[in-house]
Amino acid sequence: MDILLQFFINALMLGAIYALAAVAYTLVYGILEMINFAFGELFMFGAFLVVSFMLPQVSLFGVMVPMPGLPFLLAAPLAIFIVAGMGYLIERCAYRPLRFAPRLAPLITAIAVSVALQNLAQSVWGAQELAYPSFFLLEAKPIQIGGAYISMVEIAVIVTAAVVMTALHFYVKKTRMGRAMRAAAQDVEAAALMGIPVNRVIAMAFIIGSGLAALAGIFYGAVYLFAHPHMGFMPGLKAMVAAVLGGIGNIRGAMLGGIVLGFAETFGAAYLPNGSAYRDAIAFGILILLLLFRPQGLLGTRLPNRLADRGAMAFKGSASAIDAGLARLSAFFAGRDLVRYASWGILAVVAVSVFFIFPSPYWARVFVFVLIYALLASGLNIVVGFAGLLDLGFVAFWAVGSYFTSILFVEVLAKGYGVDVSSVWWLFYVNLLLGGGLAALFGMMLGYPTLRLRGDYLAIMTLGFGEIIRLVATNWVDLTRGPMGIRGIPVPSLFGYKLGSPVQLYLLGLVLLALAVFLIALMVRSYLGRAWVAIREDEAAAEAMGINTARYKLYAYSAGGFFGGVTGVFFAHSQQYISPLSFTLFENILILMLIVLGGMGTLAGPIIGAAIWVVFLEVARDMPFIQQHPELRFMALGVLLVVLMIFRPQGLLGQKRQPLMMS
Amino acid sequence: MTLKVENIKVAYGMIEALHGVSFAVADKSVVGLIGSNGAGKTTALKAISGLLPLSGGRITLDGRDINGLAPEAIVKLGIVHVPEGRRIFPRMTVRENLDLGAFTRHRDATVERDLGWVYELFPVLKEREEQLAGTLSGGQQQMLAMGRALMSKPRLLMLDEPSMGLSPIMQDKIFDLAREINASGTTLLLVEQNARAALELATHAYVLDTGAIALDGKGSELAHDERVRKAYLGEE
Repeated sequence: MDILLQFFINALMLGAIYALAAVAYTLVYGILEMINFAFGELFMFGAFLVVSFMLPQVSLFGVMVPMPGLPFLLAAPLAIFIVAGMGYLIERCAYRPLRFAPRLAPLITAIAVSVALQNLAQSVWGAQELAYPSFFLLEAKPIQIGGAYISMVEIAVIVTAAVVMTALHFYVKKTRMGRAMRAAAQDVEAAALMGIPVNRVIAMAFIIGSGLAALAGIFYGAVYLFAHPHMGFMPGLKAMVAAVLGGIGNIRGAMLGGIVLGFAETFGAAYLPNGSAYRDAIAFGILILLLLFRPQGLLGTRLPNRLADRGAMAFKGSASAIDAGLARLSAFFAGRDLVRYASWGILAVVAVSVFFIFPSPYWARVFVFVLIYALLASGLNIVVGFAGLLDLGFVAFWAVGSYFTSILFVEVLAKGYGVDVSSVWWLFYVNLLLGGGLAALFGMMLGYPTLRLRGDYLAIMTLGFGEIIRLVATNWVDLTRGPMGIRGIPVPSLFGYKLGSPVQLYLLGLVLLALAVFLIALMVRSYLGRAWVAIREDEAAAEAMGINTARYKLYAYSAGGFFGGVTGVFFAHSQQYISPLSFTLFENILILMLIVLGGMGTLAGPIIGAAIWVVFLEVARDMPFIQQHPELRFMALGVLLVVLMIFRPQGLLGQKRQPLMMS
Repeated sequence: MTLKVENIKVAYGMIEALHGVSFAVADKSVVGLIGSNGAGKTTALKAISGLLPLSGGRITLDGRDINGLAPEAIVKLGIVHVPEGRRIFPRMTVRENLDLGAFTRHRDATVERDLGWVYELFPVLKEREEQLAGTLSGGQQQMLAMGRALMSKPRLLMLDEPSMGLSPIMQDKIFDLAREINASGTTLLLVEQNARAALELATHAYVLDTGAIALDGKGSELAHDERVRKAYLGEE
């Protein structure tokens, strides 16, 4: 009984934190129908700022800086105020220029902003945890209720959350601005016609939302006693789940969703078999079940994306100075057939001769990574670039391929049956197909429940799927050896001749990439590609034209999954070691960014994006400035992507349009 | 109050929808804008209310340029646009919808008085004051949209297809109400596909054809113009 009471208190506290952040997501979604992924990072900034203000001195950019050492009750409002200002600036600079852009654009921008902010925090405060200084809430004695204890921090969290939520409820219901917010959420254009200053309303939603996220982060930090650059990531995702759970766009729903999630997580971790290991998966499991059976959420009345007919990715080129130069380059890649084949030929020659130019095995190894990323990006590009479905769970397919071949070779054949793996060298080639096929099956499984969803919901659903696969890989130790990973995966070989050197692996990867691009080009230029692009441009119109959109979306997922799986098999054998650390959401986001960088919905774009990024990573390694702040590279990528989405959404070398017919 | 639209051009991306359209709306008049689907009628209204930017030309209200102003500034100047398809806020009550119509005004006794007037014009809205607007019938929603717009105390009321999707009886009622609103001193700019009713009501009318003014004249004259009768009134 006592323990139940204790869990109850913990659940309520956690739920209150989720609820605060969930309201932030829901406020913005309600009006703009976009998921501001950056709230997770603003949550983290709230915690960092409050700690910084409370300490006498803090190391910023590696330099000790004296700080005011404010009391908590002053530091917290100040931190919230600053984060609210950041939220306003983000909206103004990154999202507002994209107000009328295709749906995917603000979503990808939000992800890029999130990456940039996270790495900015790491630059400023470093990668270590920053401990909370002691203050009155932490020093106070916990209160005993029956056999359970409730700390002052927990009381403060629950009470403050209740007060803030009540205030917000009245603000939205009763005040002029609140009513304007509700009107804008129902019909932005009609609200503007009634004289409601829509831009101000939207800015207000971001300011309030960012403040709430900061408050949640401050409390979260106070409960766990630290601030860290990655601390906002998981709670941010879960708050997003809570918002969807309650019915996104619905403020009371978000509060309820947060509390429900707090309870589900606390009690699930305590009572489900192996619950604490799968704690983080509970939220995503609930999410997937919810989206299957009640996608509008607990209190929601509307299905998401009434604006889905805005079209997905029909980019117009924007006229800018950079454009002219890049356009010429694009024309080179896009131009007439002869030019196109010639440019592919040149690319191929460059690719083959790369290791003559960079003869060291070190560079060959780097280029193996270029190929792996190029393969992954090409696979994801089918789903995102051609079919216009944002997929944040793509790494799961990569993981499936990697684990499939590794478990088969190492755990089953070598350890289970004592087979000499060099005698079954051909199995690697079979596994390329089997691993790809298995991942394609997973793609179907992922695709099926998401068929009814569009845009943002799809993104969250795939994200949940990807996280679950990663958590299974981490925690199902008997199968995957957990965080230790699987070692000793044999290198690929041909008739007993080992292809173990970096250059050999590079050539093998190049063959795979060439095959992949060839197959993707065939698909894209068949009825498949035309159906995908039709879905991307206007799903309703595609349906009206007799395209079975559900089926073609499934094909897109399984085709993308297939190449993800194939890459996984190649990855495992070329690295000879895999662990769950390779298959993170961050990796997925990175692959997505590489596609955007090179050019979505093109054949060469993903390859170019991967080459630019991986080579840049290596070159930057030698710069002393980067050596001190390695995270700046990722921050720069995030900022670059935001700029790209605004000024050149078709990517660096992306041609304006991929031909969809055989010519 | 005089609204002048001078040689305006509006483009959606690369496609120009209005190629230099001019017309004028005199104080207390009813001006009709008729034309077939895609002629650019709604585009013209959206340009006036600030939803779409101009790529050429100018719009003036009493000699003052209003192009480039935000929609809320234009409402404050006394021009309000009742959009096509009514676009009421479905999950708010009738009363809350009307309240939002007065968003740009200071709360004072005149707002209460105008609410009383709107309820007098549309008694059904008074009866359904606390009902969610989304549950009203199409005709009632059109009345709510007009009432909501009137709450901003406009000098110029722009109605975009007010009769669309309504029964003939309800259409007549809406046009009667429009006449009554005009009689009380509000200037009307009426966009209609129902050309017959619009020309009956309009003191002056313009015919838009694929982004340009094809004809203009007194409403009663145009109703007898042979070209208009053939093309828009369905008469041989």
